[in-house]
Amino acid sequence: MLTMGVDIGSTASKAVIMEDGKRIIARQLVAVGTGTRGPSEVYKKILEEAGVNRSGIARIVATGYGRLTFAQADRELSEVSCHGKGMRFLCPRVCTVIDIGGQDAKALLLDDRGNLENFIMNDKCAAGTGRFLEAMSRVLDVQVEDMGRLSEKSQNPVSISSTCAVFAESEVISRLSSDEKVEDILAGIHASVAKKVSGLAARVGYRPQVAMSGGVAKNKGIVRAMEQELKCGILVPEDCQMAGAIGAALFAYQDMTRHESAADERAIYRKGEKDDE
Amino acid sequence: MNEQNMNPAAVQPDQAAVPAKPKRPKSKSQLMAGALLDKAYNDTMEAKARGEKIGWATSLFPQEIAETLGLHIVYPENHGAAIAAKKLAAPFLEYAEAHDCNNDLCSYAKIDIAYADIFDCSPASNMAKPDFLLIGNNGCNEITKWFEVIGRKLEIPTFMIDFTYNHMPYVTDSRVQYIKAQIEQVIEALSAFTGTTWDPDRFAEIMRVSTENRNLWEQVADYLELQPSPLSGFDLFNYMGPMVFTRGRRETGDVMRQLIAEIEEHIKNGTSTFPAKEEFRVFWEGIACWPYLSHNLKTLKKYGINVCATAYARAWSLDYTPGDIESLARAYAFTSSNNILLEESVRRRKEWNTKFHIDGTIYHVNRACKVMVCQQQELMRQVSEACGGLPYMSFDGDQADFRNFSEAQFETRIEAFAELMRKHKEERRNG
Amino acid sequence: MANLQEKLQYLKEVAGNPGKQLAQYLRQGRQVIGTFPYYTPEVLADAAGIVPMGMWGAQTEISQARKYLVAFACPIMQSCMELGLNGTYHGVKAVMIPSMCDTLRCVTQDFKLGVRDIACIPFTYPQNRKIPAAAAYLKAEFTQVKERIEEIYQVAIEEEAVQKSIAVYNEHNVQMRRFAKLANDHLDVVTPIVRHEVFKSAWFMTKAEHLEIMKEINDSLETLPAHIFAGKKVILTGITAEPEGLLQILEDQNLAVAGDDLAQEMRQYRTDIPEGDDGIGRLAGQWMNRTDPMAHDDEIKRLELLGNLLKDNDAQALIVCLMKFCDPEEYEFVAYNKYIKSLGYPVLSIDIDQQPGAYDQARTRIQTLAEML
Repeated sequence: MLTMGVDIGSTASKAVIMEDGKRIIARQLVAVGTGTRGPSEVYKKILEEAGVNRSGIARIVATGYGRLTFAQADRELSEVSCHGKGMRFLCPRVCTVIDIGGQDAKALLLDDRGNLENFIMNDKCAAGTGRFLEAMSRVLDVQVEDMGRLSEKSQNPVSISSTCAVFAESEVISRLSSDEKVEDILAGIHASVAKKVSGLAARVGYRPQVAMSGGVAKNKGIVRAMEQELKCGILVPEDCQMAGAIGAALFAYQDMTRHESAADERAIYRKGEKDDE
Repeated sequence: MNEQNMNPAAVQPDQAAVPAKPKRPKSKSQLMAGALLDKAYNDTMEAKARGEKIGWATSLFPQEIAETLGLHIVYPENHGAAIAAKKLAAPFLEYAEAHDCNNDLCSYAKIDIAYADIFDCSPASNMAKPDFLLIGNNGCNEITKWFEVIGRKLEIPTFMIDFTYNHMPYVTDSRVQYIKAQIEQVIEALSAFTGTTWDPDRFAEIMRVSTENRNLWEQVADYLELQPSPLSGFDLFNYMGPMVFTRGRRETGDVMRQLIAEIEEHIKNGTSTFPAKEEFRVFWEGIACWPYLSHNLKTLKKYGINVCATAYARAWSLDYTPGDIESLARAYAFTSSNNILLEESVRRRKEWNTKFHIDGTIYHVNRACKVMVCQQQELMRQVSEACGGLPYMSFDGDQADFRNFSEAQFETRIEAFAELMRKHKEERRNG
Repeated sequence: MANLQEKLQYLKEVAGNPGKQLAQYLRQGRQVIGTFPYYTPEVLADAAGIVPMGMWGAQTEISQARKYLVAFACPIMQSCMELGLNGTYHGVKAVMIPSMCDTLRCVTQDFKLGVRDIACIPFTYPQNRKIPAAAAYLKAEFTQVKERIEEIYQVAIEEEAVQKSIAVYNEHNVQMRRFAKLANDHLDVVTPIVRHEVFKSAWFMTKAEHLEIMKEINDSLETLPAHIFAGKKVILTGITAEPEGLLQILEDQNLAVAGDDLAQEMRQYRTDIPEGDDGIGRLAGQWMNRTDPMAHDDEIKRLELLGNLLKDNDAQALIVCLMKFCDPEEYEFVAYNKYIKSLGYPVLSIDIDQQPGAYDQARTRIQTLAEML
């Protein structure tokens, strides 16, 4: 049985097709999100990749900020639930998931069975979100995807104290004009985001293993700064950006097999996890 | 929060940040003030070790009560300011925010609520764990909730005097009677709780000493009237610790008298502790931006701007009759700008601006302090208008949260402000 | 049922159109007084035939209010200032503002000096209520309010009228508590939005009018067979749970509001005006008896209260409607969050704002909560 999960975020649209809730048979990412061509394009591309049409998909679950406007979905679920589910699939022993998305940052706590136990999201300010990093990348004239790599060169990270995006911007500018190196400033920015987000992890009561999902997890500078703040290692699965979509596909599968006993479902999951390992 | 707690006293701001820079040697009075404050913290620690009950108080709680009972008291607002000025605030702020405290809460409160969990956090752990809390809400309402959180956390009693925000141009008699009843009740409950006894004669004596010290303090502040001023207004921050902690003790008078002698010396020699030529004299509205005190001073100095007046210069204008609780109630209800109606705040500022020959006002839009900023916009206009179009500027800051301030913004605005004041002065000169 | 729907529809219109209510009262020749959040001695105005109308701001863009309040001030106060300055409140002769928090302290001054066509009547509640002198003080404070109303509206507030008005307010309290209870057996009819509209409409009508409608609504609800609700139930706490878009999210997720500790809703009706000799003394007595986080000596009753609300109403989670920049509520959260969680209930905090805008993040949070439950 094939199920599809679609995660329409603020900056990217992601989709996966899974077979029997075990194997990912297609994955697609379009680098624009809700309100753009992203959702329809990712949908078209993933069907092409899997070589099936809509009738070949048993169920579609949509998640992410754009989930409500994705007409092809049979059901929509919050990205928090989906990220938890997807990350448990990718990292079977994970207990804490930290997700930094474009619009918000969140920390999720999973119980022994992989169910969501608690979650917390960023407060009203943009500090510690992908949007904040984007703003900083503009000021520094560095591509977002290069920020991590560049910051690794830093020898003397500067301290960026402002958490307000507007203030941080002027702080970064004044660092630049006092001839600080871009990589040192980047390291400072990463440390400031990590401080902010690790506060969320602390509030949710994080415990190992800790894993990160979302596009920002691709930024190694952030991950390393987070590890320093949380004083523990952080897993970043290859498919970290796809975690929401994977979780959605898993929920779709779960919906279709709801009649099965809870025990069976767990067995399937364990098998699925092993397969992936 | 209120004007009085602008004091980290013995703190050397930015010491850690700029170790290479040679410091101006401290004057004898500064050293005395620092020692007095250190002693207050140490005495409290020692009292605690002896098994005595010690307390934490809000900075505008009538210190005369605890002093009369011989109780050792420390002031979390002062402690928070010191932590912020020493640039030690980050772990406290982060800890608080990770433990249910909203980002938007007062930064002193966040530091203190975190401190009340951590305690052992050298070098900041000079404040002993309290056995009781003394709350006065004449500085703000927020501090009541803050102290309640501490009280619940540590399971210790709170003794509160509700000073009732005053929307009238005078303290109504009904307020005085209510506050007086509370003071009497606090005296009774606090002496029962701590096993101490109330001595009315000692109470009268402490009120006399406090009045004497307040007069000396005002005498110091009045030197800022001189043009140019023999002292830098920011210097006064160094002496606020004793005024908060030990206003009721004779030693505080010694510090003030030493300071007065030093100022007289400056006047005689035609010198000043303000390290530049005094071009402009300004009124600083609000609490200092502790984490950036030296940055602020440096920026002001660059344009010859001396802070010649602040509201705290008159924060202890407590006119009361020694031994008379009713007059004490009346005085504490009307002292802080945060507890009174706007017209009275404007009236006082107009008087001070004239007295101190002020060229402009700097308003600290303090992210941590709702009560100070929520009527500040109107205050800016009214004060300026009442003082013949006096220039003013505002900047975004925070008394203790270093993340809410932008050096660049401050510098840009001060530069423009200096121009504005220059123009205004010229216009005035040309009639 | 038809009658019930009609009454609910009427209250919906009132709740959604306070401006229309104001215009209508003015057309009828009635005088109107504004009441700021969240406790005022409304009875004094009501006794003189003046209509008290609640001032809870609105979903409005803030422009003129920026002249008075910083961007990090309470959203309700920002929009109240805005509506005062832009003339929306025109026709209201005076407002009563209790200085219950630091922002309200300042707003007494901002409103007085900014909104020149509306008189401002500030007053301050005592916080040390266990001291007998507190009651005497509050009586003096309310007397001052009474005298200001008499002067501004050129009326005489008679003791007999005050006593009569108190009886209406107390009866209204009873009916509102009865409604909150009955609603839980009819969660198909009383959805989160309908429940809110019933409570909110009370702010824009005379209590006597609202009382009559509430009696009919309650009687109708009583005759309906109980509905077995299949979704999950939550308790709301905070200042307000607005706008309706937010409550719509609850409905979408099949979550029902089974009880609340909202300043705008049940906090108003939990405590009756006690018996006593004089009207003003009785009004003061009501404040003395309230369980309210705005009073210092409330100790930890909020914890018990929330715990009981969850237990007694068979609710599964607590949703904290945290008014943005509301420091008293933010401190309280530190006190009760852990406790409620220790009882085994999830606690979800969402930010409440009055700026028009999307509730995307709130939707994600609420949906996740529903999925967790």
